[in-house]
Amino acid sequence: MSSKAEDAQLTRSDAPVYVYGVVRSGAVKAPNAEGVAQRPVSTIDGDGLAALATELISQPFRVRRRDLDRHLQVLEAVFEDSTIVPCAFGTVLQSAESVKTDLLAARRDELLALLDRLEDRVQLNIKATYDEDTVLREVVESDAEIARLRGESRALGQAGHLANIRLGELVTTALTARAGADRQRIGDRLAEHADDVVADETTVPVVLKASFLVARDRLKSFDSALEALATDEAPRVMFESIGPLPPTAFAALEGA
Amino acid sequence: MAIATRGTSSNYLQRAPSPSGLAEVLDVILDKGLVIDAYVRVSVIGIEVLTIDARIVIASVDTYLRFAEAVNRLDLTQTEVAGLQELRNGGSERKTKGMIEGAKDAFTGDDDKEKEKEKSKSR
Repeated sequence: MSSKAEDAQLTRSDAPVYVYGVVRSGAVKAPNAEGVAQRPVSTIDGDGLAALATELISQPFRVRRRDLDRHLQVLEAVFEDSTIVPCAFGTVLQSAESVKTDLLAARRDELLALLDRLEDRVQLNIKATYDEDTVLREVVESDAEIARLRGESRALGQAGHLANIRLGELVTTALTARAGADRQRIGDRLAEHADDVVADETTVPVVLKASFLVARDRLKSFDSALEALATDEAPRVMFESIGPLPPTAFAALEGA
Repeated sequence: MAIATRGTSSNYLQRAPSPSGLAEVLDVILDKGLVIDAYVRVSVIGIEVLTIDARIVIASVDTYLRFAEAVNRLDLTQTEVAGLQELRNGGSERKTKGMIEGAKDAFTGDDDKEKEKEKSKSR
């Protein structure tokens, strides 16, 4: 533990405390940056663990847009060269004492296990979205009923409101089925290069929106797989990749 | 800000090191991360609003009509002049996305300007 980190330790015990995440004690010093509520970031030490925190003076804490950015920036700064279990945005405890007892001591074993699991791993958020016209064309060309209704609906124009709803319903169903198959195939190809995946529910035109937990030394192979996938799926699917990020999607404790 | 990828797949893969818009930031830190037992947590004003905004969905009939319109707009004869086709395409998807992001931005609009200012300061 460096003396600088000790200097930055919280001393007051009566103020509510905002918590960004948990690290192994001595692993990092508090980033020299502004935290939420325009207050400094410091560490609260427990047995083998430390919380990155900001002491709040005004209560209640009112969230502002820039607080979201500050939270993420603190996580990213620490995550650069250390391992952190990120807390969900908006985690505020009663006092520094409560952080020690209710978080660091009460969940010690789980937190240490999580830190092991997340060590040298990063999160990549992948979003795959249909190029709508390309996939709609696939749907019309592969479904005779949709093609027929489309002809009808086009002929009716404005008068075809019900026909339009029926057509839209069939198209939505067909697209959703197609997206299910594509989600599986795309997810499988990327999961080969990851340790874990957490997928969000999506609706067309989004095909896949998922967080992948990737070992730092497999980042290159993951990225090559993504590049190959994007090439194979072009022009029907577009891919967006955000990261490497702190592993926020993989920080759940059992029973939490 | 997303950067177009190097290499050949170009427009079909965009990489960004960090989330940029509000929706992307919320996506990384709001519902994700360690959740501490409710009884030791102190309430925070504003979180509920954020959560509701992040879950806005579009009514299904609107979705049907949007897809019907998109299918009707499709040009299935590939022989038409390409430029004309490009003019006809596009629009509705972007409009839908805009609705969601717009709603999310609405409640913190002022702060976004603030963020822009900070960004330009740090340059």
